[in-house]
Parts: sequence; C-alpha cells; structure tokens
Amino acid sequence: MKRALFITLNEIRLYLQDKGDLAFGLLLPVVTFALMYGAFGGHTLFEATARIVNEDRGAYSTQLIEQLDAVEGIDIEILTAADADARLERSDLLLVLYIPAGFSDELVSGGKAELIFKQRGNGGQEGQILASIIRGVAGEMNQEFQVHNQVKSNLGGTGIPEDRIDISVQKYLEEERQQPVVGVVEEVVGGSPDFINLYLPGIVTMYVLFALTINARAIVEERKRGTLERLLTTRLSVGELFFGKFMASVTRGFVQTLILLCLSYAVFQLFTPLSFLAALVICLIFAAAASALGMIIASIARSEDGAVWIAVVFTMIMVMLGGTFFQVSEGSILETIGKFSISTYANDALRTVVAEGGSLGDTVWKLVVLAGICVVGLGISRLIFKVIPGGK
Amino acid sequence: MAEEFLMVKDLHKSFNEFKAVNGVSFSIEKGEIFGLLGPNGAGKTTTIRMLSTVLEADSGDITVGGYSVKREAEAVRSIIGVCPQDIALYEDLSAIDNMVFFGRMAGLNGKDAREQAMTNLKLMGLVERAKGKVAKFSGGMKRRINLAIALMGNPLLLFLDEPTVGIDPQSRNHIYENILGLQKKGMSILYTTHYMEEADRLCNRVAIMDGGQIITLDTPYNLKSQIGSPEEVTLEDVFLKLTGRSLRD
Repeated sequence: MKRALFITLNEIRLYLQDKGDLAFGLLLPVVTFALMYGAFGGHTLFEATARIVNEDRGAYSTQLIEQLDAVEGIDIEILTAADADARLERSDLLLVLYIPAGFSDELVSGGKAELIFKQRGNGGQEGQILASIIRGVAGEMNQEFQVHNQVKSNLGGTGIPEDRIDISVQKYLEEERQQPVVGVVEEVVGGSPDFINLYLPGIVTMYVLFALTINARAIVEERKRGTLERLLTTRLSVGELFFGKFMASVTRGFVQTLILLCLSYAVFQLFTPLSFLAALVICLIFAAAASALGMIIASIARSEDGAVWIAVVFTMIMVMLGGTFFQVSEGSILETIGKFSISTYANDALRTVVAEGGSLGDTVWKLVVLAGICVVGLGISRLIFKVIPGGK
Repeated sequence: MAEEFLMVKDLHKSFNEFKAVNGVSFSIEKGEIFGLLGPNGAGKTTTIRMLSTVLEADSGDITVGGYSVKREAEAVRSIIGVCPQDIALYEDLSAIDNMVFFGRMAGLNGKDAREQAMTNLKLMGLVERAKGKVAKFSGGMKRRINLAIALMGNPLLLFLDEPTVGIDPQSRNHIYENILGLQKKGMSILYTTHYMEEADRLCNRVAIMDGGQIITLDTPYNLKSQIGSPEEVTLEDVFLKLTGRSLRD
C-alpha cells in the first residue's frame, strides 16, 4: 500500500507541474465562484424597469409614475400603446402597466379608477415583483386619496378654506411617507441564498466530474510515455497502481470542491460548521465514486483523445440526468433514468444538507449508493485491465 | 560450470494467429552479457516483455535467479531492472525525482533511494543535472537517465532493450563503459541492439532471432568463424547471412 501512496504523490506532483491542468482544476472553481458571486451575491437590491403606457396623462397618473420612479431600483420607461402591444405580442416584454384614459378624472369625481396589467403568461419573475410593487404604490395612493377626501368632507362647512385643507393634508401625508409609523428595515446578511442553494450542489458535482476527465487519461498517459510498462516491471502491483491513481483523482476532485465550499461558506454564509463538514463528507464520497468510474474509462481507453471523449460524454450525461442545469420533475421518466446518474445522489445529498438543513444522517442511503459505486467501479476497472490487450 | 541465472525453456507467445515467439530456449550465466539480436519483428521485445513479467507466455518456463516468472513474478521483479527501448521518464520531473520515484517502486526506502539515485547519476555523469527537469535534457542525457533508473534497487539481472538508439558516440561510449563496469560487479545483462559492432564489443554470447525463433547462439568469435576468418568478417556479415537481406517491417 505504501507504493500506492507514492503513485498518488507522484501523480499530484505531476499535476502541479502541468500548468494547464492546474489552472483548469484549481483556478476554474474560483472563477466560477466569482461569477456566481457576481450573479447572485453582489447585488441585494431588486432592479427592474417598469414599462408604462400612460393614456390618462392627468395629475394622478403623473403622481403614480413619479411615486413609482421614486422607488429605489425601479426605472420607468413610458411607451405608446401600439409599441407596448407590439412588444408584448413578440414576447419582447412580459408585463406592461396601462393607465387608462380618464384615470385621474375618475379619482377626482369619486368614481372607481382602474389600472390594467397586460402580461404574457404570469409576467415572469421580474414582472411579478414589479406588479407587486406597483400594487403597493397604487394602494398607498389610494389610501392617501381616501384620507384626503375624508378630511375634506369632515372639515367641510367649518370655514377653513379648501386649499388650506389640501396643503395641510399633503404636509401630513408627506411626513408620514418620510417617517412611517410602521417602518421596514432591510438588513443584508449575505448574498441571495436561494440561487446559490439551487445551483451550488450542481456546480460542485460538476467539478468533481471534470476531475474524472483527467483521471480517465491516467493509464493512457503512463502507457504513452512508456512508464506504464516500466512500472509493471517493478515491485508495484497493478492493484497498487490503480489504487494510487484513484487516490490522486479523489484528492484532486476533493480539493476542487473544498475551494468552492470554503468560498461559499465564507462569502454566502451558506453553512453551519456541522453542515459544512457534512457537505465535505458528501463531496469526498462523491469524488471517490466519480474517480472509480474514471478508472473504468482509464482501463478501457487506448488513446488520450479516446479517454477524454468518453469522459466528457459520460460527464455531460451524468450532469444532465443529475439535474445540475434544470430541475428534474418528480415522477418523470427523466427522474427514473436519473437514478443511474451518480450526480443525482450527490446533488440530492448536498441539497439536503445545504438547502434543506438536513444532517448527514438524512443522506445515508445516497452515500451508501455512492460508496457502493466506488467499490464496484474499482473492481470493474481492475478486471477490465486484466482482460484488455496490453493490460495485465 | 558457471551458474545459470536466467533459464528460458521452449517459450511460446502468439498474438491471434501470429506466432511472435516460437519455441525459444536459452540461458544467461551470472555476470554474463548476453546479446539478443534480430531484425525488426523477430520477437526480441516480446521475449524481453515475457522475461520481465510484463507479458504472460502462452507456454514454456522462465526462471530468474531461481524464481519462476509464472508463479513468483513479484520475487522476479525484485531482482530485475529494465531499460526499455523507448525513453520512459516523467519529463516534467527532475532527474533525481524520477530516480527516487522508481527507487521507491523498486522497494527502497527514502534514504536509500536518494543515495542510490545520486550514485547512479554520478555513474552516468549527470550528477550536476540532478535537479534539472528531464524535459530540458538532450537525447543522450535522457538515454543515460533511462539506464540509470533501471539500476535502481541494485538488480541482479538487467534487461537493456536497445539502450543506445539515437545518441551521439560520446554518450554511447559512456554507456558501454558503464555496462562493462556493471558486468564486473557480477550483474547479468540481456542486451538487444541493432548495432552489430556494439554486440561484438560487449556481449559474451549472442543469440540471433528471426521469425520468433533463435536461429543461432554462440560467442561473437565463434559466430564469425562460421563464415570466415573472425579477424576479417564482422558480426553484421553473420547476421545478414543468417537473416537475409530482404527488408523487414
């Protein structure tokens, strides 16, 4: 077993010498993380543009637009009805607010004014948030308008001039807006965890599977440089050679995930110390399972290109079936096929720990499956190497 | 009678229908340099691969230092050293790192591996370049490292498969001297080469293979005597007479 360790150390040393592999293996997780942070972690404020068709052009529609414009993070784009309809038609826009003609007059006359949302489907995630904000602003306007009318009605006949009532009410409402009775304070405690929770497990498992691509070349590279045959004439057994290569691959895969998990811990505060350790254990077992499958490819492949292609195709299938890029619907055929993907078990286990607050105990059977794949994979790779031409 | 260190009896190996080695028998005495010559495709490398435990023979017996290659392969591997035909090194590592690594594979501990690596590098005239990356070495230097690695673990039998291919006369001469030095220390050597003058100079006995069989086996002097005066004919004349002048793939 000592010799297997030397193989592992030698493999790692060679890996560190190869700047390309090193950059791919260690820097890429950092770059991915930086992109994730830029996409999900850097901005905590919702930013969107509200498209409005103002067919009213009265005092209250103008006030509504001004109040919307004053909301932090919201920009306003005024469109004509024709333009808005055309853009909705071709799905260029998903939601537009129409302020119909007579909106202000209705309010003044004490009638019931309406705002109209035209949308495609559910208006999209951004559209839904915008609609909610617009409803809030309109509701606020509505309340202010009612307060204004009530005060005017109550003070009617007291001899107080109407314009003075208007000014006083406006002044109090303005003070209320500046210092509301019920204030809402936003406290940012980290990036947007939902996105990270959703994508982090997939990204982590994807990187481990990328390590598989490097491992798939392990035997072919030795064969190509002639060192395989040389090693086979030493006291090193084939089992030790395979185990050494396997351990090197596990180390590489694990270090990559360690970088990602550490950054996620430090920047997004996604973990508790316990869930962080649980995630590390899951990643270690997954790296072992992926490396064992990499050894199968390594024992089959006859050329470096062949090894890489088999590994890439295999990785992509595993990643797709594992639900890395999209959620696999429950009960679908894809979910059934996905049970043959090691990523499924790793993703599920990581989600349990990272997103659902579960413990390692909740992922036991998934980890048992991964460990089983690891043992069987190593056994199969050794058997294949025994029977293929040039094997031993 | 000299002690036979390697014994090969009726060795056979086929790849599908092609008989690569067909009934080869010979032995190498302790401290002997034995030349295995033959044109391309004669079966030399296949024979060496079987003797060095890489390839399993279809039939026949091989014993090295009293150990059966079939039944005691690990024991055999502990007393042999192999210098393959192609340079088999980790080019991204330094000379010393390559040597220490293969030393560890040969069963040496860290300290012994390092000491032996330095001794062998000195022997090959490369001690000053010990920490240099192999990728930056010349062809001759790589050949010498290739040979030096085969010496790690102090093997009793050395397989040298065309160790001087493609190098300059200085490096080649350096390798000759080393091989003769190793013989003096009692090491047995199986040597293959396409350079007949090299075999003539180094080998105590020579076997010429063709078509998977040994077609003659004797001392260079006796082989030359078979076709003329040993002072006038060369081993190449013998070789061409026995294997013909037709080109081989």
